[in-house]
Amino acid sequence: MSFSLDGVGLTHANGYTALADISLRADRGERIALIGPSGAGKTSLLSVIGTALAPTAGQGTVLDSALAGQAPRGQDLKRLRARIGTIHQAPPIPGRQRVVTAVLAGRLGQWPAWKSLASLLYPMDIPGARAALERVELADKLFCRCDQLSGGQLQRVGIARVLYQQPDLLLADEPVSALDPALAQATIRLLTADAEARGATLIASLHAVDLALGNFRRIVGVKAGRIAFDLPSERVTDALLHALYASEGEELPVQAHEPAYVTRQRAANDAATRAACC
Amino acid sequence: MLLTADPAARPRLLGALTVLVVLWPLFQAAEVKPGALFDASNLKVIGNFLAAFLPPETGAGFLGHLAKATLETLAIASAGMLLAFLLAVPLGYLATAAGRERPTLNPVTRSLLTLLRGIPELVWALVFVRIFGLGPAAGVLALGLTYGGMLAKVYAEILESVDPAPANALRHSGAGRPLALLYGLVPLAAKELASYTVYRWECAIRASVVMGFVGAGGLGQLMDQAMKMLNGGEAASILLAFMALVFAADGLSQWLRRALDTPPADRPSPFGPRSALLALTLLAGTVASFRFLNIGFGELFTADAARSMGEFVAGFFPPDLSAEWLAKVGKGIWETLAISVVGTLLAAVAGLLLALPKPHAPFGFVLNALRSVPELVWATITALAVGLGPFAGALALALHTAGVLGRLYAEAFDNAPPAATRALRLAGAPAGVRFLYGTLPGATPQLIAYTLYRWEMNIRMAAILGFVGAGGLGQLLYFELSLFHYAQASTVIIAMLLLSIGVDQTSAWLRQRLR
Repeated sequence: MSFSLDGVGLTHANGYTALADISLRADRGERIALIGPSGAGKTSLLSVIGTALAPTAGQGTVLDSALAGQAPRGQDLKRLRARIGTIHQAPPIPGRQRVVTAVLAGRLGQWPAWKSLASLLYPMDIPGARAALERVELADKLFCRCDQLSGGQLQRVGIARVLYQQPDLLLADEPVSALDPALAQATIRLLTADAEARGATLIASLHAVDLALGNFRRIVGVKAGRIAFDLPSERVTDALLHALYASEGEELPVQAHEPAYVTRQRAANDAATRAACC
Repeated sequence: MLLTADPAARPRLLGALTVLVVLWPLFQAAEVKPGALFDASNLKVIGNFLAAFLPPETGAGFLGHLAKATLETLAIASAGMLLAFLLAVPLGYLATAAGRERPTLNPVTRSLLTLLRGIPELVWALVFVRIFGLGPAAGVLALGLTYGGMLAKVYAEILESVDPAPANALRHSGAGRPLALLYGLVPLAAKELASYTVYRWECAIRASVVMGFVGAGGLGQLMDQAMKMLNGGEAASILLAFMALVFAADGLSQWLRRALDTPPADRPSPFGPRSALLALTLLAGTVASFRFLNIGFGELFTADAARSMGEFVAGFFPPDLSAEWLAKVGKGIWETLAISVVGTLLAAVAGLLLALPKPHAPFGFVLNALRSVPELVWATITALAVGLGPFAGALALALHTAGVLGRLYAEAFDNAPPAATRALRLAGAPAGVRFLYGTLPGATPQLIAYTLYRWEMNIRMAAILGFVGAGGLGQLLYFELSLFHYAQASTVIIAMLLLSIGVDQTSAWLRQRLR
């Protein structure tokens, strides 16, 4: 069992109910896509699973630790968290940090303190960081500063950090929102392949329905803080999807197909940043 | 419901009215009388004094004294800063809410910091001079304690003000709090932390000048003698030496900021030969400072020193709490508050006007000149210009603070994210409008924080300006201490502490509200 939630609810201090009566479980190695309109509670759900937010109702376990009641604290909590990797929609990386340090930061929960401190003076695992960056095709940016990267490149640095962390449970919150369609597809494949190879559990929230259906076997629809459906991808019908996204109009959100000149423009931008850096 | 009127209009109007109602009596208490600036007899006095500045004294013997005193000032400031830094890093870490998953303010550390900062360094210096005798040791310790408190507080606040997401993300992936701060917050805050530390070092240079007035060595002692003998030529040379020092420190600070801005070279280690050189210089500088001052720290902590310290401190208890004395102190508090508020407001207006024009260069020179002269020295001059009293104090504060705030404002404008302004420029907005819509909204929280923070410092300064006759609590304290009335002096020190705590709280509250 990787995680299980049983009637979990989350009500914020201001009275807003983000999640209500969520029951969801995943076995080790499962790969799940989370879809639903914006504001449905996808990020909250991932935050609860990732121990960032404690549920205000219900029970749950993550990697055999309780989420509520007897939840681990102190060192136990750190050990648990070191096994959970999160890819955030907005990469939580300080702009003035170097790419190599940002990637190595993925293992701060696993490294002894002396190593983490020494790594600020001299990166302690350059080959590791380079390998992780190679997988997102950014190895040439190893010693750049993060504020020299474009939004899409920065998002890939955030992904490289989690690849380097090698967590048992991989949570991804709109991991490809800043990437163009081709790169988004490749990155989702990279994440699923990484999870499969290491037997890790992957749960990714995605705004683009086609990306979810094409790459994940299990689809969980979330609407208004509740689970709308939890089905194998082949049984997710158009009717279900239209009901899920009723609030967002007729069209289902899919990957944007940008005109070619936009992609060309982006390539030129990338080249410009590359020229400015290193 | 559709709103047709701006819902913010009423609170704004009310706010403006409240400000007026609060400020009016304060301006009264500070005895603001701009007319006195242009009074003929006052103009004559100040004119004569300033005329005596020329030519500056350049005798070889005096220059020798001046050089030694300058070095001593520099050494006191550097040694004091090292002490302050060593205090501030652990205290700031304990006090800051940054990187904590449940925001706590850590009340114990916060109150310790308030105690350290609340008592002005000049008062600490006076106390240490009584205990350890005349000489630089008193200055170094006084600087270390007050500046330790200030640095710790500002470090804590800077760390709280940067984007917390990176540190939180690291904590959620299992990193401990110290590492989450180092990897997640320090990279973003490094520039501000470093420039504030260097800026504080410049302040320490000025403070060590001022402490010379109570016998803690350095340029201040020389200045005190020159002023007492109304020797304008010597005073002018000493002022020029201050300015040279402050300008040099400013240059160093700018070089450091640029160094932090340069993207790293393509090599594994983030530190190159330049960083190594910097580290070596810092090390050599601090070692040289301590050697030059030749402070026998061992002698400071003997049983004898402890006993005399105990006796001295015991003399302050119990404080004089008679109704008559309390009324007098109460009046001093009100006057001090008025001096600080009026001085800071005048300074904010003047500073903003000086920070706006581009290019910065000529105005930057004015700002540097204004702030390189310590408030206490300005007060001796403004007292000549408008007569003894609170208005002289408020003017002295305003002159020095305008220099400080103008510089900080200009930096805030330069540091404001350029994207918003660029977008407006591309949309065809003219320069003034671009500033109001693009730069100012981004910089406003910083401007407000800087101004309020300066107000907190000015309340301490206002409390000691009285040492040279500018009214308020300082005048009371200086008078009672010179008569060895320790019980009365103790009440005044407590009043200073309470006042600065009150101002800190108000300022924190205002910062929160105006964010």
